Amino acid sequence: MGPAVIIEPSPDTPLVWFDISIRGGASADPIGIEGLHRHAALLARRGAGTRDRAALDETLDSLGASLDIAVSRDSVTLSGLALSRHLDAVIGLAADVLADPLFSEEEHARLLRETPQVLDEIRDDDSALATRWFDWQCCPSHPYGRTSLGTEGSLLRIDRRSAIELWKREVVANNLVIGLAGDIDEATAARIVQRLTERLPRGNRPTTIVEETGLETEGRSGRRLILVDKPDRTQAQIRVGHLALRYGHPDTAAIAIAEAALGGMFSSRLMQEIRVKRGWSYGAGCALRRSRMPHWFEIWTAAGIDVAGPCVALTLELFADYAAKGPTDDEVDFARSYLVGAMPFHVATARQRMQLAVRDTVFELPQGYTAKLPESLAQLTAADVRAACARHLRPEDTVTVAVTTAASAQEALSQAKAGPLTVVNHDEY
Amino acid sequence: MTMSWQLEAEASAGRGVTARRWRMSNGLGLISAVDRRAPIVALQTWFRVGSRHERPGATGMAHLFEHLMFGQTEQLPPGEFDRLVERTGGESNAATWVDWTYYRLSLPARDLELGVKLEAERMQHLVLETGPVESERDVVTNERRERVEDDVDGWLDEQLMAHAFTQHPYRWPTIGWMEDIRALALPDIRAFYRTWYAPNNATIVCIGDFDEDHLRELIAQYYGGITPAQLPEVPRIVEPEQTKERVVRAPKPIATDRLLVGYKAPGQDDPDWAPLEIVSTLLAGCPSARLHRKLVILDESASSVDAQLTPFRDPSLLRLAVTCARGHNADEILQTIDRELTSLIEKPPTAAEVEKAKALAETDFWSSLVDVDGKAEALGHYETALGDFRKLDAIAKRLTTVTADDVARVVRTYLVPTKRTIVIAEPEDDEGEDDEPEVEGDGLAPAPGIDA
Repeated sequence: MGPAVIIEPSPDTPLVWFDISIRGGASADPIGIEGLHRHAALLARRGAGTRDRAALDETLDSLGASLDIAVSRDSVTLSGLALSRHLDAVIGLAADVLADPLFSEEEHARLLRETPQVLDEIRDDDSALATRWFDWQCCPSHPYGRTSLGTEGSLLRIDRRSAIELWKREVVANNLVIGLAGDIDEATAARIVQRLTERLPRGNRPTTIVEETGLETEGRSGRRLILVDKPDRTQAQIRVGHLALRYGHPDTAAIAIAEAALGGMFSSRLMQEIRVKRGWSYGAGCALRRSRMPHWFEIWTAAGIDVAGPCVALTLELFADYAAKGPTDDEVDFARSYLVGAMPFHVATARQRMQLAVRDTVFELPQGYTAKLPESLAQLTAADVRAACARHLRPEDTVTVAVTTAASAQEALSQAKAGPLTVVNHDEY
Repeated sequence: MTMSWQLEAEASAGRGVTARRWRMSNGLGLISAVDRRAPIVALQTWFRVGSRHERPGATGMAHLFEHLMFGQTEQLPPGEFDRLVERTGGESNAATWVDWTYYRLSLPARDLELGVKLEAERMQHLVLETGPVESERDVVTNERRERVEDDVDGWLDEQLMAHAFTQHPYRWPTIGWMEDIRALALPDIRAFYRTWYAPNNATIVCIGDFDEDHLRELIAQYYGGITPAQLPEVPRIVEPEQTKERVVRAPKPIATDRLLVGYKAPGQDDPDWAPLEIVSTLLAGCPSARLHRKLVILDESASSVDAQLTPFRDPSLLRLAVTCARGHNADEILQTIDRELTSLIEKPPTAAEVEKAKALAETDFWSSLVDVDGKAEALGHYETALGDFRKLDAIAKRLTTVTADDVARVVRTYLVPTKRTIVIAEPEDDEGEDDEPEVEGDGLAPAPGIDA
């Protein structure tokens, strides 16, 4: 056993990209210590091997390189970009971050002071704020309902020792998915994988990673509406959705067609009804969140505050009608044609192909799952798609989040038939 | 039909890719480059018209076309343009900025002819009637609410340009002032279309998997019959030299102070643009950058700092954007910025520091050429804003020649308080305040107000 490795050579530019995904991610944060994975990952990037944070930054920048850490619900990913002539040096630094991070006391304390300010920035951004509230409220008992950033309360419970232990436990060779793309050949790639993993423990993948168990039955609680009250808004940022299926479920291809027809294109129903016919919003769309476990089916739009209530009502009516009747035959044909034709754009560059393959591996999907979806799409009938809609779309169990000014929008939103309305302050989460 | 083309220029556009500029007899430009690494094409149509070509009172006109151009034409009923593109799996979009507007199609290679046909149709046969114009006007007002009225960064950006420029058209926002968007009249909209949407004001940029001779045949077939327009002479407006610092402040529903500073800077084709680009990187363009290290890491007085040298044809701004940390304010940050700029003059960067910025610029350059859309966008920008797609390579080469002395010189010349405009958004108090900006400076009137 060792890491899963994906290599996509391409000499188009003198650049090499690498993604090193560590399975786990924020969904594996202990309850009450939300934000621990993010904290550990960012701390690891702030000094490693013989270099403190300043020296590591300086060395990377001098090489024209970048080394960034991102935390998703399912993984922590160390992403690098290097000029190919400096690849060895950059890989050496990445290997230090993986195997020998300093986890300095000083940086630990600084990061704990910094993170609440990221919360401030989210509260200043209505769209990000709507997404944060929706993620929390959509299905609070779901691991994806826990914030990857943390809360002001959970951050107080993060200690340096827990971060170090998490890193040691999860950064083992068997738990990595390594992708390399760009100006690199197979032999060099093999040598680089060896360098990245040679100092890592050979232990088993950790058992703390959340397993999928019975999640699809959760979140059936009727409609609810959360009005996130923020002063001086001229619009409402709106999210509507519910817990749905896992990306990789046998109905994934059918739901991909349903998603495209409802809100994945400009020609889709939501865009046509909300933007084109009524001019209520700059845009409207929907998507099934792609993740390892069942995740949200989510509709989004942003309507002028004077039409926020009618816009939520219309969105729910459209969704209910769609769930009951599904897309028409023409809509299915059109969406299928779009999705099949669009695939070459998703795999046009070596970096795209590598990142898709890394994501599929983290999601524990068969090799080439996403790239082969067009084959599954081609076999579906309109009846298959409508049956999948009936199975997975649940308009009576939607959670609606609207970030707007309550004094102006509350009355109309309360009449949107979105369920009991709760008003919360924009800075309380 | 290929006989009607003239080859004007050619240059490398990345490894193994050669871009060529052709000109048709009606003035239409074409930049083509074959890249067969994926069975797709990027087909972009760049028009030399942006918000700078508007007039006060009718701002937002160029951007409104970014919406209208997807509507009905003589041959296509409403919505058909998008349906035809999406049925192929392709995507369409558009962007408007100060110097240009461009329309982007990403298509499977087999559908290149469809793309050429659609673009030629909307260049000459757009139907501009009350119904669709009013519908798109509503959409644009909502776009503006989302990007400006309810977005503090959008508000800062708009106020900066409105106060940094007193004469030049860069002073109004590309999306337009809300009252202007609402007032744009149908006859003026039609006149704008007839004036600027013409082959002799456009360059088609096509990158991807196609045969170049066939592409020129297609373009000649669909565009060959379009007559050139009489393009108006665009007056050259020179912004008067700024001699005094300008400051704008307003309360906003935010957690901490936001600060946006714009220093007057030359246009992208000026020889000083390259050293200023290096300065931008050294100040806030990477994790080890001076201001980032000082403000975010050492002092912890800011949660983020960003620098950007705007790539405009005429003189514009080097911008520093800072989000203050809790317990710190914009005035304190400004003092630190001034100290760091003084330090950059008194102790010029080492050769190693300049080399660092050059290495990062090299990575950025190649990153912009990774896919066909990126290549087309880079070539289209340089061709349309600066008049020659080969400036992409020329400016990248200029960056490699910058010295530490150049850096100190441009900091001394440009990054001085009298040449800067400062916009500060401050948290509202609990009572809620009137958000009308408070302006200090050399006789400035407030910019058109925020639509509530």
